[in-house]
Amino acid sequence: MPVFAGLRVSAFLAWKAIQRGSKGTLALTIMIIALIFVNLVFLPSIISGVVETFNTQSIDFDFGNLVIEPREGSQYIDDATGLQKKVQRVPGITGTSPRTAAGVTYFYKGRNAASTLYGITPEDERSVTKIADYLTEGEFLSNGDTDAIIMGATLAGREGEEGGGLPTLEGVMVGDPVEVAYPNGATRTYRVKGIYETQSFGVDTSAFITNREMSGVLGLQDQASVILVKTEVNGREEEYQRELLSYGIQEEVRTYQEKAGGFVDQAIQSFNIINAISTMVSLIIAVVVVFIVIFINTVNRRRQIGILKAIGIDQRIIINSYVLQVLFITAVGALAGIALNAGVTTYLTAYPLVFPGGPVYPLVEASAILRSIASLFAVSVVAGYIPAWRIAREDILSAIRG
Amino acid sequence: MIVAENLTRVYTMGRVEVRALEGVSLSVARGEFVGIMGASGSGKSTLLHILGLLDRPDSGRVTIDGTDVLALSDHRRTLFRLNRLGYVFQDYALIGELTALENVYLTSLVRGDPKEGYLKKSAEILSRVGLGDRMDHRQSELSGGEQQRVAIARALVNSPSILLADEPCANLDSQTSKSILDLFARLNEDLGQTILMVSHEDWHKEYFCRVVTLRDGLIEDVTECRKA
Repeated sequence: MPVFAGLRVSAFLAWKAIQRGSKGTLALTIMIIALIFVNLVFLPSIISGVVETFNTQSIDFDFGNLVIEPREGSQYIDDATGLQKKVQRVPGITGTSPRTAAGVTYFYKGRNAASTLYGITPEDERSVTKIADYLTEGEFLSNGDTDAIIMGATLAGREGEEGGGLPTLEGVMVGDPVEVAYPNGATRTYRVKGIYETQSFGVDTSAFITNREMSGVLGLQDQASVILVKTEVNGREEEYQRELLSYGIQEEVRTYQEKAGGFVDQAIQSFNIINAISTMVSLIIAVVVVFIVIFINTVNRRRQIGILKAIGIDQRIIINSYVLQVLFITAVGALAGIALNAGVTTYLTAYPLVFPGGPVYPLVEASAILRSIASLFAVSVVAGYIPAWRIAREDILSAIRG
Repeated sequence: MIVAENLTRVYTMGRVEVRALEGVSLSVARGEFVGIMGASGSGKSTLLHILGLLDRPDSGRVTIDGTDVLALSDHRRTLFRLNRLGYVFQDYALIGELTALENVYLTSLVRGDPKEGYLKKSAEILSRVGLGDRMDHRQSELSGGEQQRVAIARALVNSPSILLADEPCANLDSQTSKSILDLFARLNEDLGQTILMVSHEDWHKEYFCRVVTLRDGLIEDVTECRKA
């Protein structure tokens, strides 16, 4: 008997069983497979979304793509303007922004909060970060400002709302005066020119003034704590890092990932452990469901399977007919799962989950879908094959007698 | 031509040994309609199962049309059953999800026969057994007699050398049983179909060419009933 004819018979039996068997059981099984598929894809999509949000927030608000830091043993980068010009000559670099950082204490209406104050060159900052686009009130700094400050929404706070451990002045408004105490003992009062909200908590608990003002207070001469660098494309930071070093830059050049340290890596590792457990549980559920469905199906048809063998139908044809049913159920279940997942993704894109690092949009990667489909098919086929094989290899007369 | 020599078969049921056959020898010529009769536990179904390649004896020899069927591998036995034997079981044993026509052509599909050929032949056989207008009905839509006719049509579709029937009328009323036996007799007489049938109803004897009566695993009596 040709193999093709055998498969044709298996497909014929499988299709008739699906077409004329219990619709309720079929729909329920497909629905369970679809939900398992969603479970397999959903968590990785959220983890990818968290990573994406972290990367975007880090680049757009915290660090740009690369951060140039002072040489070892120095507190500041000297000749910041010269270094800036040098870096801007490197192909693929689209912006640089020198920043001077100081740990300060803010005073406002008898309340105080400690956090970082950055000195920036407003035009340069616009070429690297997007903070200027995220003002909820007021305006961004101008190059000539010396008495203005812009402040993160968390630091500015709301009247009567405590920060829950985060620094907050509880209700600063645009136009309000805020007193700043510098580490060198100097104090200055600035008028709040704007309030921004990036949802990146490190940025929203900080404030910015111009470099001109901060250099004056700290007595710096063309010096900067760091220079942020924006590259033409994201994701190739290490290449640009090597490129900058090859241009003879002596300062430390770090990627934004290195700057973020192990915090997010650890979070992602924990997420991945949760994901691995969730995947394993989902697949075990898939195995159990498919096994039970096919097991009950074959046990109920034990006699019929015996008859089929008695009239000359090879047991491989019978086993394959069950495997094909499982393949069909898994394929339809995966398709329904893709549709269901698209619905969930659409909803969460419209109403994203809000994490401390910012809003997280599910990021469904093709590799996650393919991996889920492949693992679902693999476990389903095994779970369908085993009970069919167990019954089909049984002695004909035992099967017929039931 | 079936030749069975000195067949023995012992079952173990728990700690009890059941000696189903204790040395049965039997020949069935082509075109014969042989009835195997006897009380419950006499070994008649065991004999039919061994001759139908559904079971193996503990000792003895079976040749069908010159082939030593006990020497065949399991796969070869399956093919032999598919191509050379036809079965009718007591409870019809149809596949519920298939229509009468699909049940009948299933084995032709396994043989890889051309579609047009097996569709035509299956429809013809169903018409011959009186189900020409019930071909698209499923098992649940057919009476017991009709289901057994579908089973007979399925057994005949590949023109088997031997038709084996294990108490095919056990679940049918006497009127329907008579129509099934009439059908068997017609197949035997008109087409020369060899039939081996297990029965325990005395009135069935009139249909058989020969009746082999078993008792306690041995042939007790062989009676010629009508001319083959």
